[in-house]
Amino acid sequence: MAVLADISNEFIREEIEEFLERPEEVGRSIGLFARVTPKMQEIAAGIIEGEDDIVDELTRAALDEGIDALEIMDDGLIAGMSIVGIKFRDAFIFVPEVLACARAMKAGMAHIEPILSASGIKSLGTVIMGTVKGDLHDIGKNLCIMMLRGAGFTVHDLGVDVDEDTFMDAVEEHRAPLLGMSALLTTTMPNMGKTIEAFIDEDLRDDVKIMVGGAPVTQKFADDMGADGYGKDALACVSLAKSLLEERAAQGV
Amino acid sequence: MGSEVSDTRQQEIQKSLDRLTEILSGIVVQADEQSLTRCPYKNARDECTAQFGCRNQRKRTVEGERRLVCVGDDKLDYREAWDSDPESVKKAGDALAATRETGRRRRDARRRKSRTGRQKRKSGHRTSNAGRRTSNAGHRTSNAGRMARQAGQTLFDLADELSKQVPTSCGRSGLCHECIVEVHRGMDALMPRTDPESFLEGNYRLACQAAIIEPGSGIEFSPLRRVPKILTRGRRRRVDLDPMVTRSGDAVHYGGRPVDQYRGGIYGLAIDLGTTTVVMELVDLESGETEHVCAFGNPQRIGGSDVMNRISYDGKHRRELWRVVANTINYEIACMSDRFGFAPSEIYETVVVGNSTMRDLFFRLDVQSIGTKPYKSLTEHEWQQGKRESTALSASARRLGLKINRNARAYSPPLVASHVGADVAAGLGVIDFDGDERTVMLVDIGTNTEVVIRHDGRMLTASCPAGPAFEGGLVKYGMPGYEGAIDRISFTGDGFDYTTIGGTAPQGLCGSGLVDLLAELRRHGQISAKGVFAEKRRREMTLVPERNITFSREDASNLAQAKAATYCGQFILMRHLGLTADDIDKLYLAGAFANYIDIDNAVEIGFLPGVPVERIEKIGNAAIQGAREILLSRRHRTETEQLVRGIEHIELETTPDFFEIFVEACQLKPMPGKPRYWN
Repeated sequence: MAVLADISNEFIREEIEEFLERPEEVGRSIGLFARVTPKMQEIAAGIIEGEDDIVDELTRAALDEGIDALEIMDDGLIAGMSIVGIKFRDAFIFVPEVLACARAMKAGMAHIEPILSASGIKSLGTVIMGTVKGDLHDIGKNLCIMMLRGAGFTVHDLGVDVDEDTFMDAVEEHRAPLLGMSALLTTTMPNMGKTIEAFIDEDLRDDVKIMVGGAPVTQKFADDMGADGYGKDALACVSLAKSLLEERAAQGV
Repeated sequence: MGSEVSDTRQQEIQKSLDRLTEILSGIVVQADEQSLTRCPYKNARDECTAQFGCRNQRKRTVEGERRLVCVGDDKLDYREAWDSDPESVKKAGDALAATRETGRRRRDARRRKSRTGRQKRKSGHRTSNAGRRTSNAGHRTSNAGRMARQAGQTLFDLADELSKQVPTSCGRSGLCHECIVEVHRGMDALMPRTDPESFLEGNYRLACQAAIIEPGSGIEFSPLRRVPKILTRGRRRRVDLDPMVTRSGDAVHYGGRPVDQYRGGIYGLAIDLGTTTVVMELVDLESGETEHVCAFGNPQRIGGSDVMNRISYDGKHRRELWRVVANTINYEIACMSDRFGFAPSEIYETVVVGNSTMRDLFFRLDVQSIGTKPYKSLTEHEWQQGKRESTALSASARRLGLKINRNARAYSPPLVASHVGADVAAGLGVIDFDGDERTVMLVDIGTNTEVVIRHDGRMLTASCPAGPAFEGGLVKYGMPGYEGAIDRISFTGDGFDYTTIGGTAPQGLCGSGLVDLLAELRRHGQISAKGVFAEKRRREMTLVPERNITFSREDASNLAQAKAATYCGQFILMRHLGLTADDIDKLYLAGAFANYIDIDNAVEIGFLPGVPVERIEKIGNAAIQGAREILLSRRHRTETEQLVRGIEHIELETTPDFFEIFVEACQLKPMPGKPRYWN
């Protein structure tokens, strides 16, 4: 039976001691981190701290050393993320911190993905995501992106305040079958409609499925603006993305 | 065999990915739940991480660090900090429906137009490489624009064709309300107002929304801004440099506190928000020099031409008037910045003056209380109740929507009383109103004329709602002092001699021309004191036959009433103090159009009292001048705040014999030397 002292990384030890309360979770985490190499513990610590450049560097170095991609993913990245999930659940950290961790996760996964796809794990598809023009809200969109990436989509994040041309350029450039738009304000929601109109005007509308979401958006508004789907939250976003792609495949595009 | 190994590995990887998804799903579910009770932009240190300037963000010093903290109440739905009231949700829905409808109409029109069928944009690009595709992005907008222009054209498209400048900042989506235009001809040739235009009345439209039904039907329209040629700078006095904003080494200080790094310049902006005309003066706060003055028609005229109309408009369409004027000011700042090579972020303070309504609208205050008895600004009510020290206002310029330095402040001197606003307070500072021993009167002529008298230690003020008749309103060929306005006119017996501003072909008469006209017609017996033409049944006379410029009895009557308001203000105040015109030692005439007025003619029709001409001084736009001095001198600011405290306000309408005086005042004749209604 492993004990806390078996974990070499001091930061991880402190995290477990300080933030984990449920005995089964403490036990499981100690067991996990006592088993993994110090390098993987360091990567996990980078994830927990939300340090994307550290994770980026450590992951690349680990792969260069010949450490198996799956081991890095399991023992480093995901192990770290599991602590993040618990800390968030118990309100030690909040959404902005979680998103920083997700960013660090992405930095690590960027190195892992090519190796995974070489093993036959294909991306589910490419999604362009952005918050519409005039709107600077990004949390909902970022949570969606986190989920989509986790589920195996390739996501190109255009950020906030994205105009129609930028959306169209990105869809064309990445030949993305799927576009997700977010708006958090009633005043910017109409710009979703504008963007869809622009796609129609440029005869690009049939090439892409468009999903929309955000506080003021409802299924009815989504229908009114001519979107293909509406997702009420980040979970719905993933299943929506999957079903839109299936729909698209069925249409033989 | 190889594929079997690969299969196992794939399964392992998939298992890991599934576990990750499981963790993330837990997080997302939790985030969703948590966001009901805690704003998701708030981090573990209770700092606000929002990039969009949430209204609950405050800069606070916590543990010696400047932090953006959230002061929102998490118990409530944090989304209130954004914008989710039912009305705006409905508006957004309407805008969506409108966008779709316009798009559909446009495409239908395009389809009908092109017999050859649509040119698929992508056919040319799909095969080319990605880089090429991106570089083509620039062309897209212009292509789309061109197509739209062929049919289902909007006024904005038409303006593009005519190279007319119409401002916009929302990509012509009907959201920013900057592209308001006045349609002079052809309202019928336009589609009905769309939902984004529901706040507009009369002949005003949003250029981006107004679709043209019949192209080529001679539609005439102009953007809201028109630059008047009459720019008065007022008296330039030397002011001891003591501005609120100063440079201290590499830092810029506001009232002694560091607010920014020195960027190469420190500017202040004086703004006189006239009901009809807005004047802005850009002042270099390091040298005290005025860098630039500009003036433009107040775009708030979409809400009516006088103060009362605007108050009721603001009641119906809250903040639209604020928005339209802030937009226009930003546009002018951007133009100035382009032309004179300074950055808007180098403007650290703006001093804004205007009558009570104009000022409060600008500061986003509710103005309804100014529209009902006792006609006082909320700030004046609060001041009287001891809730504030003064009616002066100070606010973050960013909160007021001004695109200048992010730490810039907007200051307004106090109101004098009731409708008599901060513009008059600023103007009084320019003439050293309380430093003088004699009997002094200031008349600031405008859409709302204000009178202030000081005599024997007493100071009285009144506001006279003259209306816009002398500034282009209510008179068929009246116009503000733009190019082409007749500014001088005299009767020759069989016709009229005149001069125009800019010497161009006449388009109408501005205020000074109208005063001349009334006096000349009276002098030559062409019109009676009651405004009846010599040929009694005549309704209209021709002034400039070749341009069809006419003058009607109705015009004369509207001018007489506007004049009467000014008359009443001066007369009643003078009477209160037992004064006649002879007793006035100094009469200061302020206001842009006062500078061009012929004094003899003004006295002839009873626009001004018969104060000997050598005692009258025209001081031009005293308000902007005062605003400039307040920018430059903190002492001046305090003095102005002190000065207004002693001024008593006389409500003209409550004078018992007001009606009789007003009827008398409507006559086109001089004010009596000895007041007839002597108490």
